[in-house]
Formats: sequence, C-alpha cells, structure tokens
Amino acid sequence: MAGKTVPILVVLGVIVLFWYVMAVVMNAPWQQTLNARANLTDVPFTEFVGQTFAQDKPVLPAPHQVIGAIWNGLFGSAITAPRSLAYHAGITLGATLLGFALGTLLGVLLAVVIVHNDASDRSLMPWIIASQTVPILAIAPMVVVGLGAVGVTGMVPKALISMYLSFFPVVVGMVKGLRTPEPIQLDLMRTYNASAWQVFSKLRWPASVPILFASMKVGIAISLIGAVVGELSNNAGGGLGVRLLTGSYNGQTIQIWAALFIAAALAAILVILVGWGEKLANRRMGVRA
Amino acid sequence: MTSVVSAKGLGLVFKTGDGDVQALSDVNLDIDKGEFVSFIGPSGCGKTTFLRVIADLEQPTEGTITVNGTSAAEARVNRSYGYVFQAPALLAWRTIDRNVALPLEIMGYKDSAARVAKALELVNLSGFEKKFPWQLSGGMQQRASIARALAFDADLLLMDEPFGALDEIVRDHLNSELLKLWARTQKTIAFVTHSIPEAVYLSTKIVVMSPRPGRVTDIIDSPLPRGERPLEIRETPEFLTLAARVRDGLRAGHSYEE
Repeated sequence: MAGKTVPILVVLGVIVLFWYVMAVVMNAPWQQTLNARANLTDVPFTEFVGQTFAQDKPVLPAPHQVIGAIWNGLFGSAITAPRSLAYHAGITLGATLLGFALGTLLGVLLAVVIVHNDASDRSLMPWIIASQTVPILAIAPMVVVGLGAVGVTGMVPKALISMYLSFFPVVVGMVKGLRTPEPIQLDLMRTYNASAWQVFSKLRWPASVPILFASMKVGIAISLIGAVVGELSNNAGGGLGVRLLTGSYNGQTIQIWAALFIAAALAAILVILVGWGEKLANRRMGVRA
Repeated sequence: MTSVVSAKGLGLVFKTGDGDVQALSDVNLDIDKGEFVSFIGPSGCGKTTFLRVIADLEQPTEGTITVNGTSAAEARVNRSYGYVFQAPALLAWRTIDRNVALPLEIMGYKDSAARVAKALELVNLSGFEKKFPWQLSGGMQQRASIARALAFDADLLLMDEPFGALDEIVRDHLNSELLKLWARTQKTIAFVTHSIPEAVYLSTKIVVMSPRPGRVTDIIDSPLPRGERPLEIRETPEFLTLAARVRDGLRAGHSYEE
C-alpha cells in the first residue's frame, strides 16, 4: 500500500492542477464580460484568476468550490433537510440497494434456469442481451411515468430501473459460474446418486461464488447509475439525480459537480463493501491468500 | 463365489461427429467378491469406459451387465460402489474432512464424523482434517479422494488410474498402502491402469485389453499370494513371468500400423 501512495498522490495532483487551469480558461470569457459591465479595466492577472474561482455559476467550478459545496451539503444542514446532500444521497442509496438486491436475485434465478434447461439457454439469452441494448435513458421515463400512473411512486420505480441494469452482469457471470464444475465433479455427484438440488447446493453454487462477487461489484455500481437515471425522470422524490436535474435547470454547476462527486464516492464505497464481502467469503472457503 | 460384476457380450458404440467409435466390443467378464482386478491396456482400449459402464456413467449399446446382481443403474442408485477418478476432484472450498463427508451428507448418514475419521485413518491422513485441498500434495489429495470413496462403506471400489498423475516413488508407496487397505477392508476392487508393474503387483486378476475396437484379449489369474505383498515381490521370477505375459498380451493386441 505504501508503495502506491506516492504515485496516486502525483496523479491526483496533476488532475487537480489541470482542473484549476481549465477553470481559469473556461470561466475567463464570462468574467471578462462581468468586468466590462462593471467598468473594471486592467484587473491584475492574479486578481482575475481569483475572480474566475469565485463565480456563482461558473462554467467549470474550481475544485475548492466543489469541495465546499460537498462539505456544506453533507454537514451544513440537518440530515433530513431537503438542502442536505446526505438526505438526497440516502434516497438514492435506498433505491440503489433495493434495485441491486432485486437485480442480483433475478440474475441468479435466470442463471439457474438457463444452466438447468437447454431450451431456456437458447431462448432466454438473446433476450437478456437485447435488453441491455435498449438505452436506459429511453426506458427510465416510461417506467417512472407508467408506474406513477398506476400509483407506484418513490423508491420502487427507481429500484426497478436499477434492477434492469444490475441483473445483467449477474446473469452472464452466474451462467458461467454455475458451469465451473468439471465433468468429473459432476460424475462424482452422479455416482452418489445426488439429487439435482444437492448438485446445485453442494457443487454448482459454491463453485460459482467467486464469479458472483465479481458480478455483484459491477452490478452495484450500475445499480447506482440506474437509480440516478430514474431520478432524472421525476424531480419530485429527491435524490442525487434530482440534484443533478435541478442544478442543470438553474445553471447551478457547483451543485451538479457536488452531486456527481457524492454519487461517485457512494459507488466507490458500495463496491468496496462488496469487496469486503468477497474477502470474507474467500476466507471461509479457504481460497489461497 | 458370487459375482459382484458380471458382463456378457457387452458392447458400447459412441456416436461422434465423424462416425461411430466402437469403444467396447463383446466383453465377457466376471469379477468375484473380494477380488482385486486390474484393467490394463493402451489408451483407447476401453478400460475406463468399461469402469464407467459398471458405474452407470455410460450406457452399453449391446449385451448385459449386472452389478451386485442388479442392473448398473440400480447399483448406482443403491450406492453400491465408490468411484475414484483420475484426478482427486476434491471440492476446493471444503476442508479435507468435509470433502470426505460429502457423500455422507448426500446420502444422509448420521454418524458422519466417526466415518470420516475412520476413512482418513485408512488412508493415513489423520491430522489433515482441517487442511484445504491446495495445502496437500498431489498424492495426499488422491488419498483423500480414496478416503471419500471409502467413507460410505460400499463393498465395491472402482478406481480409474488413481495414481496415473503421481511420480513413481509416491505411486509405489500408495500401491502398497492400497494393498493393505484392501486386505483390511475385504472390498472388491476394479482398478484401471496402464502400468504393467502396478497391475501385476496389485491384482488377483489382470484383464488385458486392446484398442480399435476396445476388447479383452487376455484374462490372467495371478499366482502371487493374496493379501499383503512386499514391494520386493517385484524382483521375484513369478512376478517377472507374469509381467512378461501381460506385456505379450498387450503387444499381441496392439497393432503399430498407424
């Protein structure tokens, strides 16, 4: 870990520096307009740079502006207040987790059916792949509006969109995972006259656990994307997607960036948590460290 | 003596993409209770296929086979044999004791712990209960897989080149261990190999097979004493005569035309 710290910090430093430079470049035209209107001429360069970092609605907010907005959003108000980013992150998190759980369950169930039935292997798989070629941005509003029309609002429609995205890596991974056992291991179970359930629970399922975790890492990250996209279709319920949406309506670029970073951090935390689950499972299953 | 395995006119044809393959042709064989029968022959002679037919893992296309007086399918359903594969086929996520307990779990045995301990003791693996398979050498893994086949006390043990992947020193050791185990447990063993010394050393009966089509060319009853045999028996004239006969049988049945 220690060996990684320096390179990571160097890369981070380069990114931040590039960001600050771009903030000056991109905010300069509007700052010049503002200064001209105020009849401010001959503003020294250092002062001008400071101005480009302090706009209300910059084209590109400076990193410290975004960090300030994140800090305020998380700790500046009560966690239940609609101004609180933590509140919105909580709403998105709920939909993400529900959608992820449903998606993982659906993915595993489909994989079990596909592995145990040749006909469904041939008939289901093309549809599953086709489902992911449809742009989620096109489907999300239909799901949200359609379910809203029959009175289902709030977390469930967003969770369904998360499910729609996250079942895919799980089903593809688990079809492979459940087929990991070698022919002689399947023969072995046959010599014991093991039932289909025993073959599944004692051989196929444990053999597929590593792939399940790998799939879930992908699944939970895109679950979050699904929830955010769902929120973009309906600005009533709150959530990070709603913050992105209202931010873009009002030109609140700082708010957009803050929400983006919170969403990214949330995704990272969720993936890390799944990774911990993976480590725990590995230890119990005696995987060579 | 009662026949544990009895094959009459047994044949098996595999249908493959480029035509039929006659894996077994007109095999007639009886294995009596308590015997140690080796099947020896070059690749493609059908020795493994025959073992798999006994185990009901392959279906014969001609002739009949009975195992323990029933059909092979019934014998499998009755769990009347233990099968040891070429590879240990241990489940990587189970410790050794839980691997050995696998058949017991599936068959619903209540006295699993005692049986596991006894089976591991028979293969000299006591003390390795809590190791995972990757922590054991190849020879120990194969012994664990033998313990797994012994755990539910089937009278018939089917072994498909169990020591084929091991080096000769380990193989010698496991061979003498296997003979001791056979003497202690009084099981009937059907053992596939392509090593002449292994077949002669272990067996009470040697079945020599040859390929294209897979068939039995010679059945030799061993004059060597039953039960434990010291490894040095392999230097005796009886042993060498027997080995020569097996080699002749293999040579006669094998054509080098291709």
